[in-house]
Amino acid sequence: MTRRVVLIGLDGGTFSTLDPLMDQGVMPFLKGFLASGVRGELLSVIPPLTPPGWASLVTGRTPGNHGVMDFFRFESPESRYIRPVNSRDVRCETIWSIISRQRLKATVLNFPLMAPPGPISGNVVPGWAPWKFLRRLCFPRDLYDKIKTVPGFNVQELAMDFKLEVRAIEGGSKEEYEDWIHFHIRREKQWFEILRYLMQEDPCDLTAVLFDGVDKLQHLLWRFIDPDYVSTHPSAWEQRIRDLCLDYFRQLDGLIAEIVAAAGPEAWVFLASDHGFGPSTEVFYINAWLHRQGYLEWATDAPEDTSEAGRLGLGMIMRSPSIVDWSRTTAYGLTPSSNGVHIAVAGRRGQEGIDPKQYERIRSILVDQLCQLSDPATGGRVLTQVWTREEAFSGTQMDTAPDLTLCIRDGGFLSILKSNVILKPRPEVVGVHRPEGVFMAKGPGIRQGLSLPALSITDVAPTLLYTLGLPVPRDLEGRVAEQIFEPPWLHEHPIRAGEPTHVPEVFPPWTDHTEDKEGEAQVLERLKKLGYLE
Amino acid sequence: MAEVTGEQIVADLEKIFKETVGDWEYSGEITPETCLFADLGLESIDIVALGGAIEEYYRRNFPFAQWLIRLRDKQVDDIRVKDVAQFLQDHLNSASIGEGS
Repeated sequence: MTRRVVLIGLDGGTFSTLDPLMDQGVMPFLKGFLASGVRGELLSVIPPLTPPGWASLVTGRTPGNHGVMDFFRFESPESRYIRPVNSRDVRCETIWSIISRQRLKATVLNFPLMAPPGPISGNVVPGWAPWKFLRRLCFPRDLYDKIKTVPGFNVQELAMDFKLEVRAIEGGSKEEYEDWIHFHIRREKQWFEILRYLMQEDPCDLTAVLFDGVDKLQHLLWRFIDPDYVSTHPSAWEQRIRDLCLDYFRQLDGLIAEIVAAAGPEAWVFLASDHGFGPSTEVFYINAWLHRQGYLEWATDAPEDTSEAGRLGLGMIMRSPSIVDWSRTTAYGLTPSSNGVHIAVAGRRGQEGIDPKQYERIRSILVDQLCQLSDPATGGRVLTQVWTREEAFSGTQMDTAPDLTLCIRDGGFLSILKSNVILKPRPEVVGVHRPEGVFMAKGPGIRQGLSLPALSITDVAPTLLYTLGLPVPRDLEGRVAEQIFEPPWLHEHPIRAGEPTHVPEVFPPWTDHTEDKEGEAQVLERLKKLGYLE
Repeated sequence: MAEVTGEQIVADLEKIFKETVGDWEYSGEITPETCLFADLGLESIDIVALGGAIEEYYRRNFPFAQWLIRLRDKQVDDIRVKDVAQFLQDHLNSASIGEGS
């Protein structure tokens, strides 16, 4: 083994949180790390979301090419049903696979989109995997029995609990906050212990671990973390929650310090995030707005959000196709996380919709309406950007993208729920994603104490490959971040272009003979009457 | 390509379950009548993971989401191993016919 590289992922890591923590002495190791390394913002993708963000970081490709644009995707090009994304949906080769082909080894812990794990040279314990299936989802197959021996192993806390994920974003009860923070401290320690065990027992060329409590705490507890929102006269309870949040980051800083120490002085250490974070103060009900504009009709049993806090509908995403009346809907938001709007086009998903010949015209009208959408209370624009799929997802996988992707003025997610209002102020500020993530690096040949202009998240994969001494595949969209290295180092270690990446295997689709033939016939008949089909 | 029988698929599912069920504090046998929710204690997200495991095993995709939503719409409150097997059998044999023709 010639070079040792460590990648520490901080899900949702943002300098607007980390800088004050470093200044206040909560993260002293990270402060020292940056004094002897480089830092810069890492610009995420559209949308700045965990699955597309990490997929871009580990492939060096944009969502339009790797195909991951949300937590969910349509089950097939013809289906309106959706399922969570998995490793099979990443249609570009990952750095783990690229380095394995170059006879290097990787350990990959807690990264999303790693399950089911493809064969790599090394070890994978995937993130976003339910505990009951974690044994099956580890690679190699005997890895689970090895990590079970790690002190403090508790699979139910290590793996993903989807209900907890939903509560983090939709908001849990205040009585749960303390347990929530303690839970994430224990969880990060577990991932660290597994990392330390594997670094000792099976050292690899590239070792990567993702700490995702950063994202979870910021979602739920932003007002206790962001100095701009922390109460100047906190109650005893507010002060306790604030102190616990600081303790989470203090302990995370300690874990980072131990990882860097374990990697050794000759290692390269990179820290990166999939997206940044910021405050959200309102909920925008996209489907309620589409309903008012005549694009969407609710199903008779569509649930209505009457909560004071405002809900996005995360808990019922898989059922979201059931909340609209498809016979009278031409545009809809399918998931809160994608911030996407889909246009129902006749024949595209076997459902009614607009005449395909009218697609461009109707989409253009919808874009104009969305751009003009204003807050009835203030008159201010609600959306800061409306991207067409060509603008946001140009690439080989563009056809799987939403027709439009929206950026709400406070950076928040959409609500897909029925509502009698279009905008609802949140009673408490929460944390939501921002495009500006973090990049930090330290190691031989890397400049010291430097703050850089923003990098692209697609630059991380080629930079890691270069640091490992490997050629950089020609088809990566990102580039090696040359500016982080000392010029003499670059001169002695020139960047080499390599062969293109390998395209991952895609499973064949099913032959669907179980469709509701009677319903399908009715749809076809209706389309014929409308003149869409001969 | 020969049709896949229900018995074969149940045996495949038993194999998939047996690799993980030891961690679940479930000591019963896996049979065609075993209920995924009531007996094995699975939740919706586990069914998604099970679907992924099945797709890896057969190395092809299945319309699990569509199937699950339709079961929910029919107010089916649990899924037996034999229900999964029937669903898979329908699609595997349909695919076999398609590939061979």
